[in-house]
Amino acid sequence: MMKKLKELERGEHLVCCHECDELSYISDPEKSGRFECSNCGHLLLRHRTGLVERMYALGVAALVLLLLTNYFPFLSFHVAGSTSHATFFTSAVYLFEEKQFLLAIAVLMTTIVVPLMRVILTLALFAPLYHGYLPRYAPFVLRALHHSLPWGMIDVFLVGVFVSMVKLVKMGTVIPGISLWSFMALVFVIAAMQVVYNPHPIWERIDEVRRKEVAV
Amino acid sequence: MRALEYGYSVCSVCHQLVKLPEEKNGRYLPCPRCGEEVHARKPNSIQYTWALVIASIIFYIPANLLPMMHVVTFAGTQSDTILSGVLYFLETGSYLIAAVIFIASIVVPITKLLILIYLLISVQRKDPRSKPMKQRLYALTELIGKWSMVDVYVVALMIALVHFGSMTEIQAGEGANYFLLVVIITMIAAMQFDPRLIWDIKEDHGTQR
Repeated sequence: MMKKLKELERGEHLVCCHECDELSYISDPEKSGRFECSNCGHLLLRHRTGLVERMYALGVAALVLLLLTNYFPFLSFHVAGSTSHATFFTSAVYLFEEKQFLLAIAVLMTTIVVPLMRVILTLALFAPLYHGYLPRYAPFVLRALHHSLPWGMIDVFLVGVFVSMVKLVKMGTVIPGISLWSFMALVFVIAAMQVVYNPHPIWERIDEVRRKEVAV
Repeated sequence: MRALEYGYSVCSVCHQLVKLPEEKNGRYLPCPRCGEEVHARKPNSIQYTWALVIASIIFYIPANLLPMMHVVTFAGTQSDTILSGVLYFLETGSYLIAAVIFIASIVVPITKLLILIYLLISVQRKDPRSKPMKQRLYALTELIGKWSMVDVYVVALMIALVHFGSMTEIQAGEGANYFLLVVIITMIAAMQFDPRLIWDIKEDHGTQR
């Protein structure tokens, strides 16, 4: 117990569960693997190699797919000689035209602004890290990624697209567009990014750099 | 060994351990690593969560009674509420889509609100039973929250695709706005609740913390 208290004073090797407030003692935080809370089983720490490389690669893939998906229509609807196309943007634009501002802003934010911002922030952080340089704005990026996580809803939007396809089939001809495929790939890439993403090694690196700066 | 007993708390963003000042009032500090405010417990968590839960219950009534969208054709206007949309798909035999809409728009919001109300009441009544289950229920509310947005997106997509002037047009109904508010407010309510409050309740009998 005394040893544990000393560790507590140094604040090292002790991890506090943010779900249940239990302090857990971690023998070797550098070892790769998972560390779970001893009380509630919540995942505390996870160490896997290749975080930076994977995030950089997935970030580039997500950016390309995001641009593709936004540029081309993902659904076209054909009825009695007239055709209309839907891109991510048009679904918000028509809501604006109808003066449904609340709905328009919510759709615009959760399907375009937040996902795009998250991908750009990921690249802004992991591209310099890949080239061996920790950017000054890293804490800001990590905080923004933490707070924006629940508001990116591209996966929910995909389900919405499938439901509307079934609804529209009864009214006319629905033609899936090119970008529906890139959209599906994008949902998988963004899910992979969330699984791979792990801010702890970067926070530790920020600490390390700051300690060195103080020493100099 | 709980962090609160030692005067420590954990930063919600970067998970840094922070020693909080002794004073009872205003026990918070900016995190030395990331600058986020570190509280021992989220301030006024119970009150805020209750307020948001009650607000979303109120909004949930017009969200279900008012139409989500109007289909305007030369033959007249047809309005669909959430439930009539589900029934329409059941009648036409699209059981999968009916299930998706029913789960996303009715089961998910109601489940979330019931779980939050149950957690709030059990924390307020200091019920020490089945803490791990309550923790899992809380994790569930965070996980399923955003999936109720499906119906809002369907309305947005239908409007974007069906606009052929005087012939056929789809307009958003008043219910869609209220439903959107329910989704957003319940998500914020789940974020406001502090799961550590579940574990703060001491057991009257026995030795378990």
